[in-house]
Amino acid sequence: MFENTLFFLSATLTIVGAAGVVFSKNLMHACVLLLGSLFGIAGLYATIGADFLAASQLVIYAGGVVILMLFAVMLTGGSADSSNKFGIEKIPGMGSTKTYVIAGFSVLVISFTILKLMANFMKSYKAGELPAFSSTVEEIGTLLVTDHVLAFEISSILLLGALVGAAVIARPRKG
Amino acid sequence: MISLSSYLFISFTLFIAGIAVMIARKNIIAMMLGIELILNSAALNFAAYSRFVNNNLEGHLMSLFIIVIAAAEAAVGLAIVIRFFQIKETIHIDDAAQLQS
Repeated sequence: MFENTLFFLSATLTIVGAAGVVFSKNLMHACVLLLGSLFGIAGLYATIGADFLAASQLVIYAGGVVILMLFAVMLTGGSADSSNKFGIEKIPGMGSTKTYVIAGFSVLVISFTILKLMANFMKSYKAGELPAFSSTVEEIGTLLVTDHVLAFEISSILLLGALVGAAVIARPRKG
Repeated sequence: MISLSSYLFISFTLFIAGIAVMIARKNIIAMMLGIELILNSAALNFAAYSRFVNNNLEGHLMSLFIIVIAAAEAAVGLAIVIRFFQIKETIHIDDAAQLQS
């Protein structure tokens, strides 16, 4: 019961946040709605028993990426003039009735095809009982330094390269 | 009642939202928000499959690597955006039309 409640709350938060990112005119509002959507995804991770994943999603996205996005929005002039230049209905070809009718039919056809293809596959995986809660942190740590040690080291080198690259690219230059 | 297809549906919605943002927005930072949505939908798929199909932790590791890559991508992308804004005084995607100014 608690699991169902958490699932529906998180799913609602995720989908509403994503729709808000699509339809919000103000870029700052879009960033904050993206934060809500990422919180919802962390809740979904919690419902499938991935506690370490939920925690790192919260720490890295809420504490890192969204703050970085907000800094970039503010450094580049914020949401000024965003309503008439960046709104979804100002794009040519988006907003006329014909576009929406064609897009609706395309969505129907494509989704029926995909669902038909995936029907057997989806039916064959009913929700098993969630095993008794046990922390996944220890197993993930063990896997990271035994089976996946190469990917782990490569990702650390990637992060170092991203750090140095970001500092080099964004530094102020003379002239 | 919560099954694999619930998670697949949420992931599909997130992916469609990200694609719509990337197509409709002309602001580079807004397009990067769409990229974050798409990466998150992929990570959610990995975690859901590893919960419902094979009960091991490989999917969690893949989601962790996706989160790491998304963080690196956001850092470098925003640095490029800020540099572009210093040069061109705009972050409209149609103004990024030449390789060398």
